[in-house]
Amino acid sequence: MAFGIIFKRAVRDFRQNFVTHMMTTLVVGLTCLIFVFFSLFSFNLQQVVERFGRQLAVIVYLKKDVAQEAIPALYQRIAGLEGIESVKFVSSEEAFKRLEKFFKDEDEVLQGVDPLFLPPSFEIQINRAVYHIDRIKTIASQLSKWPEVEKVQYGRAWVDRLEAFSRVVRGAVAASAVILLLTAAFVVSNTIKLTVYARQEEIEIMRLVGGTSGFIQGPFLLAAFFQGTIGSSAAIILSFLAYRYILGMLDYTGLVRSLSLQFLPFGYTLLFVLASGLFCVAGTAVALRRFLRL
Amino acid sequence: MISVDHPIIELKGVGKKYLPDILALENIELQISKGEFVFLTGPSGSGKSTLLRMLYCAEEPTSGTVTVDGMDLSSLSISQVPQLRRKVGVIFQDFKLLYNKTVFENVALSLEVLGLKRSQLEKRVRQVIEGVGLGDKMHRKAVQLSGGEQQRVAIARAVVNRPPIILADEPTGNLDRKRTREVVALMNELNARGATIIFATHDDSLFEHSHRRLLLLEKGRLKGA
Repeated sequence: MAFGIIFKRAVRDFRQNFVTHMMTTLVVGLTCLIFVFFSLFSFNLQQVVERFGRQLAVIVYLKKDVAQEAIPALYQRIAGLEGIESVKFVSSEEAFKRLEKFFKDEDEVLQGVDPLFLPPSFEIQINRAVYHIDRIKTIASQLSKWPEVEKVQYGRAWVDRLEAFSRVVRGAVAASAVILLLTAAFVVSNTIKLTVYARQEEIEIMRLVGGTSGFIQGPFLLAAFFQGTIGSSAAIILSFLAYRYILGMLDYTGLVRSLSLQFLPFGYTLLFVLASGLFCVAGTAVALRRFLRL
Repeated sequence: MISVDHPIIELKGVGKKYLPDILALENIELQISKGEFVFLTGPSGSGKSTLLRMLYCAEEPTSGTVTVDGMDLSSLSISQVPQLRRKVGVIFQDFKLLYNKTVFENVALSLEVLGLKRSQLEKRVRQVIEGVGLGDKMHRKAVQLSGGEQQRVAIARAVVNRPPIILADEPTGNLDRKRTREVVALMNELNARGATIIFATHDDSLFEHSHRRLLLLEKGRLKGA
């Protein structure tokens, strides 16, 4: 079946039923707008969590009785673990020096304190390429089981809190996606139902003169693809403009700058537009199967 | 029953019952050969339209088999039905036109489904519309035409894709004498070009002095097949 004919029929139909099609496109657009808003929030939160996590170092405190000679072997073992970017050994003396530096104005605090009272430790940076909070957790729990290790720290409370929040947001995005998809499916399905009822006669005649399912359904599916892509593109453009406007308003605050907010990546928006188009096509195909009984 | 060689249409023991117990057709045995022109007549409600509807898969027989151009219609899948319908041009009693579309658009529909190139399509549609005498009303909407003109648009749409079989269900029902003669002449011309035609009518004058085979349906039973 010539695609050109189907395309022309779809365009003609879009023009003839402009108001109905535009109303559907508007609803699809609004649905997409809500989803893009949630996605934008989730995406930036994820970025913040990851950036924060990347700056975290895992600190492995050794037991005081660990012999000096065992340190190089331990160093090699840690460096050999998967996903480790760098390892730095901090001896008890160096740790004490850091403490002294910290208390440089109140050096009397450390007077009389044994310079070796702090445990030696390893400071580990996780490889950014394989970075994931779960990976930090795995490495930390692995290390804490070693007999030479006293304690492992990695700012767990913060990471856990941020991660939990991020999980809630991701869940909200997923839930909103499901609800919005159902709403869009319902709207598209109803528009198709109305269009099919309005064009019942034409569809019947097309069938009687030998129109295939593809010929009859084609313009509907193409119109749905237009609605999905136009609606989602409008949502992306609108949310981008709103994002730029809000960012412009908040730019002078240091907090916003430190968060270095970003808009959704271009690839993601492209995928979103395409997915919206295809979703509308799928919804329409299901609706047509129901109402046309093809 | 008259036996014909290589029938293009064949009905064997065809019956049609509507619920609860309305017998529309009963044990129809019919063979129509390629290139034949037959009149199908009978009083209203005798089953003429039902029989025609079976030939383009708009109706399924309750019993028996229907074969059209070598295709056993009972074994046709949904996707094969359009292929059959492209071989069978139907002139409907109620025209079945798209009234908000132009004459051209109505006729072109039969070729659009074939995916014909626009230039070819336009040429052929113009030819056929001019052939039924509506050349000057090509871009009028169907709703603006008289009953007779609408009938001719329906005829043009049925024949524009040059189907080997034409089923005409009371095609002259809304026409005056002059237009009726024109339609019959058009059917004769299409038949002369090789189309097989079943012409359903209850207008005796159309077949009274004709040499064509006459099929008479009465209460769902075929006489003179």
